[in-house]
Amino acid sequence: MPVFNASLTTIDEKETRRYAGLMKAADFPQHLIQDACDEARMLVQPKGIWQLYDYNQEARRIEAPFPYLLTGAKIIAYLKEAKKTAVLAVTIGEALENSISEHFAKGNYTYALLLDAAGTTAVEMAADQLSKAVEQQANKMGFTTLARFSPGYGDWEITEQPQVLKLAAGQTVGIEVTDSCMLLPRKSVTAVIGFIPFRKSASCKEVRCTGCTQQNCLARKDEPI
Amino acid sequence: MIHIFDGAMGTMLQQAGLQPGQCPEQWNIDHAEVITGIHQQYIHHGATIIETNTFGANRIKLEHYGLSERVAELNHAAVKAARAAAGTTVQVAGSVGPTGKFIAPLGELSFDQAYEVFLEQITALDQAGVDMILIETIIDIQEMRAALLAAKAATQKPVICQLSFGSDGRTVTGTDPETAAIILEAMGADVIGVNCSLGPAQLLPIVEILAKSCHCPISVQPNAGMPELVHGETVFPMSPAEFGGWIPKLVAAGVSYIGGCCGTTPLHIQAIRTALPDCPPSERPAPVKALALTSRSKTVYISASLPTVMIGERINPTGRKQLAADIKAGQFLSVKKEAIEQVRSGAAVLDVNMGVPGVNQATAMQKAIEELSMLVDVPLAIDTSDAAALEAGLKAYPGRALINSVSAEPERLEQFLPLAKKYGAAILCLPISPAGVPKTAVERVAIIQQIVETAKLAGLKDTDFLLDALVMTVAADQEAADQTLSTLRLYRRHFGYPATMGLSNISYGLPNRQLMNSTFCAMSLASGLDAPILNPYDQAMQETLAAAAALLGHDPNGRHYSQNYAAQPVNQPAAIPSDDILALTRQAVVNGEKEGVTPLVRKALEQGYSPVELTEQTLTAAMNEVGTAFGAGRCFLPQVLLSAETMRAAFTTIKEILPSQDIQSNGTVVLATVKGDIHDLGKNIVSALLENNGFTVIDLGKDVSHSDIVAAAIQHNADIVGLCALMTTTMPQIDIVIEALKTAGHQAKTIVGGAVLTAEYAEQAGANAYARDGVAAVNLAKELMKQ
Repeated sequence: MPVFNASLTTIDEKETRRYAGLMKAADFPQHLIQDACDEARMLVQPKGIWQLYDYNQEARRIEAPFPYLLTGAKIIAYLKEAKKTAVLAVTIGEALENSISEHFAKGNYTYALLLDAAGTTAVEMAADQLSKAVEQQANKMGFTTLARFSPGYGDWEITEQPQVLKLAAGQTVGIEVTDSCMLLPRKSVTAVIGFIPFRKSASCKEVRCTGCTQQNCLARKDEPI
Repeated sequence: MIHIFDGAMGTMLQQAGLQPGQCPEQWNIDHAEVITGIHQQYIHHGATIIETNTFGANRIKLEHYGLSERVAELNHAAVKAARAAAGTTVQVAGSVGPTGKFIAPLGELSFDQAYEVFLEQITALDQAGVDMILIETIIDIQEMRAALLAAKAATQKPVICQLSFGSDGRTVTGTDPETAAIILEAMGADVIGVNCSLGPAQLLPIVEILAKSCHCPISVQPNAGMPELVHGETVFPMSPAEFGGWIPKLVAAGVSYIGGCCGTTPLHIQAIRTALPDCPPSERPAPVKALALTSRSKTVYISASLPTVMIGERINPTGRKQLAADIKAGQFLSVKKEAIEQVRSGAAVLDVNMGVPGVNQATAMQKAIEELSMLVDVPLAIDTSDAAALEAGLKAYPGRALINSVSAEPERLEQFLPLAKKYGAAILCLPISPAGVPKTAVERVAIIQQIVETAKLAGLKDTDFLLDALVMTVAADQEAADQTLSTLRLYRRHFGYPATMGLSNISYGLPNRQLMNSTFCAMSLASGLDAPILNPYDQAMQETLAAAAALLGHDPNGRHYSQNYAAQPVNQPAAIPSDDILALTRQAVVNGEKEGVTPLVRKALEQGYSPVELTEQTLTAAMNEVGTAFGAGRCFLPQVLLSAETMRAAFTTIKEILPSQDIQSNGTVVLATVKGDIHDLGKNIVSALLENNGFTVIDLGKDVSHSDIVAAAIQHNADIVGLCALMTTTMPQIDIVIEALKTAGHQAKTIVGGAVLTAEYAEQAGANAYARDGVAAVNLAKELMKQ
């Protein structure tokens, strides 16, 4: 499957506010958010790749050349109707990370935090663009796609990260995984996207915050979307 | 006349026995009679154009089947099979599908590689005798540009360009139908259309936009509805009758070529033929009469009847050492920065000049255009006098660019006009001839006339021109401004094409150039300037443009002008007596006024307050207030950090003025993100907040082993050890460090935190406290210091 590097001609300022924990802040200067989004755009180097595999529902197995058995009730439930799965890996590179560290070292704490939030938004937007390409491929085959589901969501253990990165061939676009299962560069995402038969998509278009265990997350949304 | 394409080939082949994993194009040789039979069925049911079975017959796609060396053979066989069915009345279109790869920088295939792949296939189709080329199901405009260029190079026959759009009305790579139509018409597509991905209902609005955005005939080949999976097989549910029901609407929207894509059968094609006699003739709206420039995803029109378009001039290394040095070093960060900031300042087109002495301009231009096309959505103007750089830029640009510029010098005309035609670019016409720079307006018009005539002979059209009125320095020639203004008026009267010019030359050598430039801008806009090339950061120019938009009727009732320039309500500061310097300082920290706090601290010290009084009564008190507000959900982390930065500025000022004054430490904290964990933003925030609350912080960084943490705790005689872990995989390190501290007999209290940590885990690990966030960590540290 092809390499697809997203083009970010904008970074969503509203999402950046959310990731910075500013959802409810009425009077935070918008120009700071805008500055951070602009600088992030300048520094990101989006790269992405995906692979498509058959999914064996009964065996709960992604039928890659090195078959991958799913563990975790939520990911299994998520894929219960899926016939195929796309596995993707996306990164925005290291340059932004370095700039965040430099700003923090200079005492620009707020700006570093905002830049970090803009980077999170950027990697999600890059993943969204890749997901759109995946979705079009699914549609042509008579499928519709589910929302992305990543290692660490729900009870799908983060320790699965190396396997998922391998399924996506994420190394091809320069993504690595540490012994403690963290992706490098840090602003990277791996995920699976389930392909289910068309018109059976009513329930699961977005993975919601309510399913996440990180109660103190800055970006947590109060209510279902 | 409406032409009828055939329907799906893949479905028919599967019905005829094509197995999953088999190469459909191989059947052109192994089962040619089946292919001819499918074509005959479609002709029998009404198709007037049949498409060869060559959708995947390019080198890259055939490689999946180990057939990449048989491109010519498989394409020839396909045309032969089609010809056997077509006879003399039906035309044969050579089908050309995508490579399946994205073009760099979106993907890994280079533009030149894509071009060669398409050239090989299209040459084979042409030589085998197709009547036209049909490039279809393309989702990346850059791939379509490569294929269209290859088709134009391979054959004189008509070329049909069909993209696939998603349900959001854009291709996967972000191109909208209006932009696609403008790019492809300018590059010489004979028919522009859409196929696949969607059914007729979803394609109707896309067809409507295509029809009003170009003059080319429009084609459409919808799927038979949106596919469903039934018993493990992809099924397209729309019946021929329902499909036929959409035909009058599609014809009314302006299509003149109709067929079917996935899931359509001979019966669907028959439904088209049956529906056609009852279709009312289409009345296509005329496209906008203006110069259209596009990026990959956006169109900008320039015309006298439309609002003024600002062309940003800042991506130009002339006289700018840093920019020139970056370009020379192959670093494009400052180019990207200029692009983002200009667009933010209102530039709707960006001029791109890579004219650095000693630099390969073609390489630099290609890189700049690739970077900028991924970064901003405004169209670009390629500003160069180097033909190789121009071609490199035009090739790399997934839009319709402006060429800056074409003068009447023979070499320029000979080299640049064919490139403009080939890549579908617009040209900025500069009235300079081999005789030099014309002084009068009448002479300038005569030179432009010559450029336009030559350009039209090269195939350019009326919507391809932007005329430069030429600006000379008024300090050197008192007639200079008058001649430029006269030129603008004559251009509009004589040609009717939009006009541009670089403004700032007018004021060269004069004082207060901003005033001169903005005044001249206003006069020029009134005389017919449509797209000034200027520095978008120039405030006076911005104001002039805003006012002129209202005066020239482009801003009805001055609404935007009013929004931007109405007196803004001034935020009233809290009612603090202006002589209460401690209260003012405290308020500055609470509000995060980093720049404002320094003079206040200076003043407080001048009034005789001691650093301790200042720290305790204002700075610490302010941070406590912010912390309380944070705890109560009245303020948020970035705001806390703004206050922390302000406090840091205040401390720095105190130290500058009274360097010998030591501010007493509240305690020593050794802080680290544990071994294996590479996240440090949260830990950095805790570190900053602790420091600003009077703690001495020894920040060991991230991925720190338990032995290093223990050693630092001993060395610095730490009161507190703060540990951070973000992941379930690194959380157990917390236990290891706490155990190691105990083993070493160190008495430091421990505070732990991080995304996945919980109070329960902290307790189980034997930590003294769990902090859910940075503010909590500070409060806990203070509490622990009291114990």
